[in-house]
Amino acid sequence: MKFSDIILQGMQDTLYIWKREFRLTVRDQGVLIFFILVPLLYPIIYALIYNNEVVRDVPVAVVDNSHSFKSREFLRHVDGTPDVKIISYSSNMEEARGLMRNKDAYGIIYIPSSFSKDIARMEQTHVSIFCDMSGLLYYKAILSACTEVSLDMNNDIKIERAGNTTDRQDEITRYPIKYQYIPMFNPQNGFASFLIPAVLILILQQTLLLGIGLSAGTARERNQFKDLVPINKHYNGTLRIVMGKGLSYFMVYAIVSVYLLGVVPRIFSLNQIGLLQTLIMFIVPYLAACIFFAMTCSIFVRNRELCFLIFVFTSIPLLFISGISWPGAAIPPFWKAISYIFPSTFGINGFVRINNMGATLDEVRHESQVLWIQAGVYFITTCLVYRWQILNSRLHVLRKHREMKNKRLLDSREAVE
Amino acid sequence: MKAERKKKYISLYNVSKRECKNLVSRPIYLFCMVIAPLFCTFFFTTLMGSGLPTNLPIGAVDQDQTSVSRNLLRNLDAFQQIAITERFTDVAAARRSMQRGDIYGFFYIPHQTAKKAIAQKRPTISFYTNSSYLIAGSLLYRDMRTMSELTNGALARETLRAKGLTDDQIQSLLQPIVIDSHPINNPWLNYSVYLCNTLIPGVLMLLIFQITVYSIGVELKEKTSREWLRQGNNSMFISLWGKLLPHTIIFFIIGSFIDVYLYCYLKFPCESGLGPMIFATLFMILAAQSTGVVMIGTLPTLRLGLSFASLWGVVSFSISGFTYPVMAMDSWLQGIANLFPLRHYFLIYVDQALNGYPMIYSWNSYLALLIFIFLPFAVINRLKKAMLYYTYQP
Repeated sequence: MKFSDIILQGMQDTLYIWKREFRLTVRDQGVLIFFILVPLLYPIIYALIYNNEVVRDVPVAVVDNSHSFKSREFLRHVDGTPDVKIISYSSNMEEARGLMRNKDAYGIIYIPSSFSKDIARMEQTHVSIFCDMSGLLYYKAILSACTEVSLDMNNDIKIERAGNTTDRQDEITRYPIKYQYIPMFNPQNGFASFLIPAVLILILQQTLLLGIGLSAGTARERNQFKDLVPINKHYNGTLRIVMGKGLSYFMVYAIVSVYLLGVVPRIFSLNQIGLLQTLIMFIVPYLAACIFFAMTCSIFVRNRELCFLIFVFTSIPLLFISGISWPGAAIPPFWKAISYIFPSTFGINGFVRINNMGATLDEVRHESQVLWIQAGVYFITTCLVYRWQILNSRLHVLRKHREMKNKRLLDSREAVE
Repeated sequence: MKAERKKKYISLYNVSKRECKNLVSRPIYLFCMVIAPLFCTFFFTTLMGSGLPTNLPIGAVDQDQTSVSRNLLRNLDAFQQIAITERFTDVAAARRSMQRGDIYGFFYIPHQTAKKAIAQKRPTISFYTNSSYLIAGSLLYRDMRTMSELTNGALARETLRAKGLTDDQIQSLLQPIVIDSHPINNPWLNYSVYLCNTLIPGVLMLLIFQITVYSIGVELKEKTSREWLRQGNNSMFISLWGKLLPHTIIFFIIGSFIDVYLYCYLKFPCESGLGPMIFATLFMILAAQSTGVVMIGTLPTLRLGLSFASLWGVVSFSISGFTYPVMAMDSWLQGIANLFPLRHYFLIYVDQALNGYPMIYSWNSYLALLIFIFLPFAVINRLKKAMLYYTYQP
């Protein structure tokens, strides 16, 4: 056979496999759950849970032993912040603690009896806050509300004491240097804007792992020798199988990505400031890396349903190892090295930067390079494991063939005798 | 009568023995019941081993270049959680570095800040954090704000001194009201304590859901369900008990090991002592197993049952409220949160281990778990029907 014929046949086989795999995918209800239903519904569940972005009006109890004009002013301001809501003025700490035990309050603000006296005497006075630590957001809310109010009141007190004569002087005593805080890329410090972009990218990888694992399990169960590669004249080259299958998954996921990364953030009005072409240039290697990674991993799936047990729980560690919630700079080197195995680590970081921070392709160069490398490496490993599988299935067929032949020989011999 | 009872015990024993053989013969059980939970325990506790991230890289844009600005940045660098790793000449370069992911925030001191401050012209300094990384952003915010306050204090001190006040007077003048914060029982704000205590049981619970559904569903798939039922004296109750008892024992050993590891070895706060937590772990395991039975009972197909288990298990992490509080969710979601056993385990953990309240305060969470434990009775007939007449469709 001429070289050009081989190429031509290879192309034809690739197209054949692509078509066949696509048909298998569309017909398999289980795979459709992963490829369509999960990407469709999961982000909506998450977005609904985190939709309010921040915690408001954390209930606190107050023990005001000072009962003075100043202490009431302090508490009124605290109650006025959006973060905290005073639900009870308790007469002593024991009563306030009781409220916390019953989860009516998540914190206590304690004002000592000497509060206004100390201020009048020009001595420092201490307001104590006690926080329930079951959620750090409660602590953050109560602490920031009280700090905010105390700084404001401190300035007023400072101005009173400094004995200035003009408003301008007041301002200067208040803050010789003004300062401003600018939270970038997520101005309200919201939970949804922080977590959901990462979850979206992780969903792409995990559903591919599950879906491809499931279809590999199905292929094995349908095959009479429990092999991954069917006996079919089109399935006799590693490259065409890998390319054909990869292409059909890629086609499905191109559409899923548009929904996940384009439509979902829009529905829930999350940050979305990335350039479209940057995003496309970045997502292509990510999908390729994920698809080949999933195809390599699918070798471990011997039964249809095992992929649930193997892959689902990994989502939680993978989200943490990506460095989105626990900062990447604080991840121990060992786990950092492990994180290089997974496309999601780089996919999440790159996507968050493009989508939330408007990074260009140049600024996510490192991530996209690693993704291309991963795509290449996992392409090779996929080819290797498929090659191994093809040889296996040929071996099984041959063995079966020989058995049959021997049996027939034996039968005919018996018949002669 | 007595013989009848004895027969029941024998069939219970037989079913358990049969299940033990299954557990040993399939490596997936070893993976999901022992390796995966222990791996996750090890993973999360070492990942967040430092408790709080230290030396988060930030940038400095110092256009002032005076002793005031240098002093400010040097003091900022001395904070435990901050390390100034890069210096830029303008804000745009710093922003690009943030977009590259090299730094989590930066401090900007514009031209002539010190000069303007001395001339009482009130210059402005700014600090920027990348709040897409929420934890890093809020930690940096705290330190950078403290630094700005301290700098202001130092400058105001000069002014006040010029007015003839003594240093003692100034000290109390600058900060008349001080906030003393007491984070109860986690004074270090340790993230590992805050997250691992619920994350690890959450993973365990997800795996229990899945293994329970799988071990029952696989009998349906491989058409061994009638044999299983026969060994269980044709009683669904005995068959289920016998099958799940070995699981309970293994999961309880793993769960107790996790408790001992967290509270005795890593010394996470455990005000109630170990006993109540092990008790809570047992309740959690039983509730999770029962929920698993309900899942396969309502959807008696292996694939659909496992989908249900995975969905419920994964959503648990978000809806149980240990990262993002339930009170901040919409009210209908607050109701739905009660359908997740992890939510109740989390509340028990907070009451017992973290806050050390008497067990009576967690009665409603225990009651909820108890309801979960009795829930399988609602689906037991449906499950039996499936065992007898169901045919597997791939």
